[in-house]
Amino acid sequence: MRLLRALLIWLAVVLLFDLPPHGSVEATAGLPERRNVPHEILAIIVNRSNPVKNLTFEELRKIFMGERSRWPNGHRVIVTMMEPGHPEREVMLRDVYRMTEKDYLDHFLKGTYTGDIPVSPKTLSSSDILRKFVFNAPGAIGYLRASDVDGSVKVVRIDGHLPDDLEYKLQIGGLGK
Amino acid sequence: MRFHILHAATSPVPLPVRTIVQGVFPLVLGILINTTTIQGQQIDSGGNVDRRTIQALLQRIEQLETAEKQLQERVTQLEKVQHGPTQDSATQSPAHVGIPSETVAEGQSEAAPEKVDANRNLLNIRGFGDYSFHGENLKGTASSFSLGQIDLFITSDISDRFRFLTDLVFEKGRGNNYEEDLERVLLEYRYSDYFKLAVGRYHTAIGYYNLAFRHSRWWQTATGRPFLFLFEDEGGILPAHNVGVSASGEIPSGKVGLHYIAEVGNGRASTPGVQPVQNFVDSNHHKSVDLNFFSRPDAIPGLQVGFSVYRDVLSPPLSPRVGETILDTYATLTRSKLEWLNEGLVIRHAPQGLPRVFNTPGFYTQISERFGSFRPYFRYQYVNAPDNEPIFLPVYNISVGLRHGPSVGVRYDASESVAFKLQYDHTDLRRQQSINALAFQLAFAF
Repeated sequence: MRLLRALLIWLAVVLLFDLPPHGSVEATAGLPERRNVPHEILAIIVNRSNPVKNLTFEELRKIFMGERSRWPNGHRVIVTMMEPGHPEREVMLRDVYRMTEKDYLDHFLKGTYTGDIPVSPKTLSSSDILRKFVFNAPGAIGYLRASDVDGSVKVVRIDGHLPDDLEYKLQIGGLGK
Repeated sequence: MRFHILHAATSPVPLPVRTIVQGVFPLVLGILINTTTIQGQQIDSGGNVDRRTIQALLQRIEQLETAEKQLQERVTQLEKVQHGPTQDSATQSPAHVGIPSETVAEGQSEAAPEKVDANRNLLNIRGFGDYSFHGENLKGTASSFSLGQIDLFITSDISDRFRFLTDLVFEKGRGNNYEEDLERVLLEYRYSDYFKLAVGRYHTAIGYYNLAFRHSRWWQTATGRPFLFLFEDEGGILPAHNVGVSASGEIPSGKVGLHYIAEVGNGRASTPGVQPVQNFVDSNHHKSVDLNFFSRPDAIPGLQVGFSVYRDVLSPPLSPRVGETILDTYATLTRSKLEWLNEGLVIRHAPQGLPRVFNTPGFYTQISERFGSFRPYFRYQYVNAPDNEPIFLPVYNISVGLRHGPSVGVRYDASESVAFKLQYDHTDLRRQQSINALAFQLAFAF
């Protein structure tokens, strides 16, 4: 009996010491519900010296289609794209270009041949390289997962919305515009 | 350790309570004492370990920060030597370390737009070619394998705003010979999206087809151009090439998407047997002028509608001068799968001093739809030149008359760069035997 009592008491003591300290329970109530996980949002980025802060979706499309050659500050537009196989590139082809990979290649090859498009987009191998290129080139525009954006580049609003707004449309795996 | 607090016989506390107190109290006290002792020992030893570790880490961080600062300073010095003072060193970020040097150079060249790096490879060459096997039911003609055109499309981004381009085409010459032709030779200056200037030899901005398809048959759905838009050396009746100045750009019009092209050039020669494209000398004082306006509205992706006006004065020998006016209008819809082209024009020749005007109307319509790698297509074309037209036959030795008829075919894209086409043409001619022709073409890009 004594042994049993001792064991029960010991168990109670152990449970008391193992209880988490008061106030450490994670409070989830009251936090706003987030529509998108940050790493799935595609942010449009430009060089920090670019005065453009907002683009309509149609303007964004024209820029990436090669129909815009100059920014308002006179710098030449340099469109950057990731290599095929990157999910970010798939989102751009699906939602911005509205083209397949083959149609995209044909569009720029024919555009440079007819003279409609002065320069094709620059293809870069990774998000890190793309971010560094946009940092260096005053006229560059590109895209990154929101989680890959840092202070070296500027995020542009699309139709007035930032990537963490509910109305923002560019998302990896989403329905798109 | 046992404490005899109360004697069992004399204690006023009930036996079970005494038992509990006697059993529990020493146990709890023992637990508390031991726990406190153990924790104290842990804190003592853990604290020593933590402090030493923290100090070591802090020292390491200081060393790394010093090394990073030295590296940054060295990179700044190297960049200043390599590229000149294009960026303020205070704004340098280590973010650019590790980018391929070519990428960095291109990015930084934006800050000094007129610099040219002589070591960069500026020349870009893309090629297009075609071979065919064809036959028709005209007497005296034999089915033949034909080498088509080899078109080297060469561009060079000379600087931020200047670009050079040329179409160097190897094509059929006299008989079975090849000849080379600089079909386009242009120096372009692009000031903005609203103004681009090109000087040299260009494709005249008449309508749609002459600008959309240039020389490559690989880009064309069908095996060849509509006969209205054949080139001069193929028996065409339009001034498809010109030498002069061409300005083009967008017209601020919002979602309407208006564009313009305005050109001034030598026009075409009007002496029989002479090269129609006047590359070096204009045979008369009159320059050709043409204007082309078109719209690409945002609301309907792929739609392009427009019209153009071309004006020149031809001076055939021993004949009155002829005012030449070409009016063209078109509406086209080109999307990933669907292509629908419609274009009509009239060539108006008005000999000076004569009351009569000779009008040659013509049009084509072409529709195709892609099903996987296959693209079947249909074209119908029409041109009707009067019998005594003063320019086509007398000057350029081209018999036009009335010719019209359908073409049906299918294009198969075997890969991104190779296409096979099979096409049947039926052409009705005024007071002549109809022509049926079959062609198999292999077109490619390289």
